[in-house]
Amino acid sequence: MLKSWKLKEVVLMSLFSVVFGIVYLLFLHVGNIWAGFIGPIAYEWIFGIWFIVSIICMYIIRKPGAAVISETIAAAIEVLLGNAVGPRLILAGIIQGLGAEAAFAATRYRRFDIWVLMLAGVGASVFSFIYGYFLGGFTVFSTGYVLLMFGIRIASGAVIAGIGGKAVVDGLLATGSLRGYPITRAKKGEARA
Amino acid sequence: MKSALHNMNPAAKFIVVTICMLTMAFFFNPWTPLLMWIGVLLIQLLFSRIDWKLWILFMIPFLIMAFGYFWTTLVFAEDKSGPVVLSIWSINITEVQLNHALSLSFRVLAFSGLSLLFALTTNPVSFILSLMQQMKLSPKIAYSILVGYQFLPVLKDEFVQIQQAHRLRGAMQDKNAIRRLLHMRKILLPMLAGAVRKAERAAFAMEARGFTGEQRTSFYKVIRVGRLDGYLVSLFMLLLIISCTSVLYIN
Repeated sequence: MLKSWKLKEVVLMSLFSVVFGIVYLLFLHVGNIWAGFIGPIAYEWIFGIWFIVSIICMYIIRKPGAAVISETIAAAIEVLLGNAVGPRLILAGIIQGLGAEAAFAATRYRRFDIWVLMLAGVGASVFSFIYGYFLGGFTVFSTGYVLLMFGIRIASGAVIAGIGGKAVVDGLLATGSLRGYPITRAKKGEARA
Repeated sequence: MKSALHNMNPAAKFIVVTICMLTMAFFFNPWTPLLMWIGVLLIQLLFSRIDWKLWILFMIPFLIMAFGYFWTTLVFAEDKSGPVVLSIWSINITEVQLNHALSLSFRVLAFSGLSLLFALTTNPVSFILSLMQQMKLSPKIAYSILVGYQFLPVLKDEFVQIQQAHRLRGAMQDKNAIRRLLHMRKILLPMLAGAVRKAERAAFAMEARGFTGEQRTSFYKVIRVGRLDGYLVSLFMLLLIISCTSVLYIN
């Protein structure tokens, strides 16, 4: 899978994962404190934040695997930085990345408009919720409560990760630093990448 | 003895900790996660030299979170069967509800205990090297992660610089929390643009020094799997079995 990747794309992905790994960790601590007062639903509003790097990297690099690998690296960075959620974050990262990747794979890596990016956010939400349902023991909560959590997470994934991710990359594109990456080439209409 | 956990193979430790966590997810009694937490604490006391002050500092947010899980489970429980054990303000709490609530809170504690055991005894760089050498992680990704990791202090400096530059030009910190969150974009964009340039430079430097990213057979720094790992893995498995079967003999 990595054969077609340029080294600079892999390193870019890793550096982005570092930046967002720090952002993720910040929100994790905010979420933790908040969760103490209003319970596990506290995470759902801001859950989209944790999917953003997969959407950003895929939108820029546009190669199969960009979503799942970047999300996994971001999770690994979070673990390297040292925190009390620990190694299972890597597993969570793989699963969230796979959710986003599924949406891009469904369009066969051809479309990268706002709808597909939002769909990727929703995909990551669905995958991560199934994982969280199992590991967080949501089975003991009442069905209505779980459905409410699920709905909020999907909205958060679509808005924060999908729309937010696109906004960040479009801003970055305007700075001109993304020259030489597939997103710029695709904008010029030279290649599908 | 005191350095056993620090010397354990990071990949083996990673797998064992993950297995323990995933197994915990199947149990809804309070004893299994509680025993796991206590066991992990004991192992850490015996086989590591960690900074316990730091440990407590990391544990505090999770104690708060465990409390959040506790009351949410009590209020929004699905299964309200069983005899009523106590009632607060005319809300009746049944035995099943209380067990589930305690179980989920202890699970949070067991998870964070296991994670801290991993985080506080593992050297990040050897963890990535071990993933590459023992678990066949692609060198392209492994070394890229290490590059990213080495850039952390640089990125931190850059963050401070951008903030100072903003302040110098009179961009004030907003009191409004939502506006401040949107303001984050103004710091994030220059940081990401800088990251793109750094990534390019680092990648060129790596290629110039002959890095191809192919699978290797020999390494400069070798991470080994030894007898010590066998002992420690069996110790963790023993703890897992004891805590999982606790339902059978406690009651």
